[in-house]
Amino acid sequence: MRVLIVEDEPDLLGSLLQAIREDGYAADGAPDGEEGLYKAESYDYDAILLDVMLPGLDGWEVLRRLRKTKKTPVLMLTARDAVRDRVKGLDTGADDYVVKPFDVDEVLARLRALIRRSASEAQPRLEIGKVTIDMAARTVTSQGELVTLTAREYGLLEFLALHRGKLVTRTMLYEHLFDENDNTLSNLLDVHVSNLRKKLGHEFITTRRGHGYSIDSAL
Amino acid sequence: MIFNSIRWRLQAWHSLILVVVLTGFGVTAYRIARGNQLRRIDQELQQRLMIVFRPGPPNDHRLAKGPPRPEGPPRDRRPNDFGHEHDPSEWRQHMQEVIANAGVLEAGQNNAFYYIVWQKDGTLQASSQGAPKEVPMPAEAGRTEGEMGDRPGATTRTRGEFREFCQCLPFGDRVLVGRSMSPDLIAMRRLALWLFTAGSAVLAFGMAGGWWVATRAIRPIEEISATAVKIAGGDLSQRINASDTESELGRLAGVLNSTFARLEAAFGNQVRFTSDASHELRTPVSVILSQTQTALSRERGAPEYRQTLEACQRAAQRMRRLIESLLELARLDAGQERMKQEKFDLSRVTRDCVELVRPLAGDRSVEIRCELPTVECVGDSERIGQVVTNLLSNAIHFNHEKGEVRVTARSENGTAFLTVADTGVGMPPEELPHIFERFYRVDKSRSHIQGKTGLGLAICKAIVEAHSGTIVVTSQPGTGTTFEVRLAAAKEEES
Repeated sequence: MRVLIVEDEPDLLGSLLQAIREDGYAADGAPDGEEGLYKAESYDYDAILLDVMLPGLDGWEVLRRLRKTKKTPVLMLTARDAVRDRVKGLDTGADDYVVKPFDVDEVLARLRALIRRSASEAQPRLEIGKVTIDMAARTVTSQGELVTLTAREYGLLEFLALHRGKLVTRTMLYEHLFDENDNTLSNLLDVHVSNLRKKLGHEFITTRRGHGYSIDSAL
Repeated sequence: MIFNSIRWRLQAWHSLILVVVLTGFGVTAYRIARGNQLRRIDQELQQRLMIVFRPGPPNDHRLAKGPPRPEGPPRDRRPNDFGHEHDPSEWRQHMQEVIANAGVLEAGQNNAFYYIVWQKDGTLQASSQGAPKEVPMPAEAGRTEGEMGDRPGATTRTRGEFREFCQCLPFGDRVLVGRSMSPDLIAMRRLALWLFTAGSAVLAFGMAGGWWVATRAIRPIEEISATAVKIAGGDLSQRINASDTESELGRLAGVLNSTFARLEAAFGNQVRFTSDASHELRTPVSVILSQTQTALSRERGAPEYRQTLEACQRAAQRMRRLIESLLELARLDAGQERMKQEKFDLSRVTRDCVELVRPLAGDRSVEIRCELPTVECVGDSERIGQVVTNLLSNAIHFNHEKGEVRVTARSENGTAFLTVADTGVGMPPEELPHIFERFYRVDKSRSHIQGKTGLGLAICKAIVEAHSGTIVVTSQPGTGTTFEVRLAAAKEEES
């Protein structure tokens, strides 16, 4: 999963990026509205954290312009806690709303819920064969036993699981699992996939040679 | 109490005055009419008497011809015109003839005139048939009531429904002519009734009109009070509908409306100020929360903790600046900040400030040009220095790279001028009226300049105004902005 954070306060942007990355997501940051809009339009983010008060282009304007081309889930961050502002945000096309000052855990939980909903998964629990993915707790169990995964492995598994039955290309994986600061070598993706196979069973992830990977919906 | 209402009082006074005026008018009209009527009767009676008992010598040709013509012109005669003072018996005989010829005895039927003649000793000499019974002989004439007082020996009186006129004749005889006033009394009663009816109608009409006028006059007051009640209830956007701006109440409504507008603006400012202040505080609190929560979510190395602490410190510094500014503004608002009244050189203070901000200007390659002759003025040099520093730092922040800031001081007609002009981005004219407002930013989004609380210019304005000075701004987008501070200069003899 890859998240864009548009926030002009550098200390806040830094800590949010760190928290989200540590939660296993890829995260990009933008310090103003123009850069935020450019990035949001250039990549298929899984979610965007958008501050309302931004120099240059404000949050409303970024959201309005973004909605012309993309349906990326947007979580608005604002310092104004007026019903009018919240209604305006939701009407402009925001998917959720967090008022500053916020708890990082709450922002992360709302982000997870947003991503889940956008993948049409209302349940935080995904059961694929013998493997159960708890997207709220970010844990995976296989045959009732807890499987220890790194954040990257978990991210990869979650992305594949949310796109179950569909082909997930390597490009999609690169776009959604790594942020602009990761200069990951391409074979690192294969390493993560092979680690997952070791932990969950070889047949769990199917390789479509030359195209990408998928998790069979029949599992 | 309904009777305490202005409308009721107006109505009561209005009605009272109307009743008094109408009563006075009615009574006067009635009295005049009654007096006229009496005078007419009296004249008629007198005329009768004069015609019937027209004095004259026995061989008067008119007596020989019979009763005198009633249309004969009444002649004003003195008592001695009757003559005959010298011969009572001749007079008595003459009287007999007169009574007989004039048909006095037959007169008096059908409410017409009646005559009674007395001799001096009170014996009834003759009486008309239609005369009322037992008519007392009038007392010694001389004093009269009514309008005939100018005639000696004549007297008029009202006796029940009868009006009588009595004339002394020679030799102590007296003749009385009278008639019933009942038709006149009925007419007068009718007049009184008519006056009363008309008066009542006018009163009713006047009261209705008064009620209408009072209601119309009161309506704006009721509108004002209804609006005031709504405003007291918290809806500050209510205004009195003052269509009639010329009347006293219309002007009052206008004054109240402008008061309400100012009240609403003040409340709005207060609400916005509180909301802005909390908004400004939210961001640093968010930084501290997210930094600490992220840092504490797992074990970290010392450098990471250090970074977190530094970020927290920055946020805390920002909050401190904001809180200090807010407190300062609150003190200035409350008038608690006492400004010293010392004499100082505005240029020296300004030079100190320029030295203070020079490193900042160096960072942005902004050149500061000074034109600072000695300008003595009165005030709190420390506070004025604060204003100048703030203006200078703004001029540097909002300037272009390699821009210029011109600082000039001058004195003119007892006023000290300090001008800080930059060659920066400038501001559109519609922004200028607002830039001294608290938390107002020309860039609607948070301008990301460290150390700017959005209160600097508001504090400058408050300080300058505490010195009874003014601060004005002119700006040209793209060319630059000029702030001018005007303060009272020190008096010549003091300097």
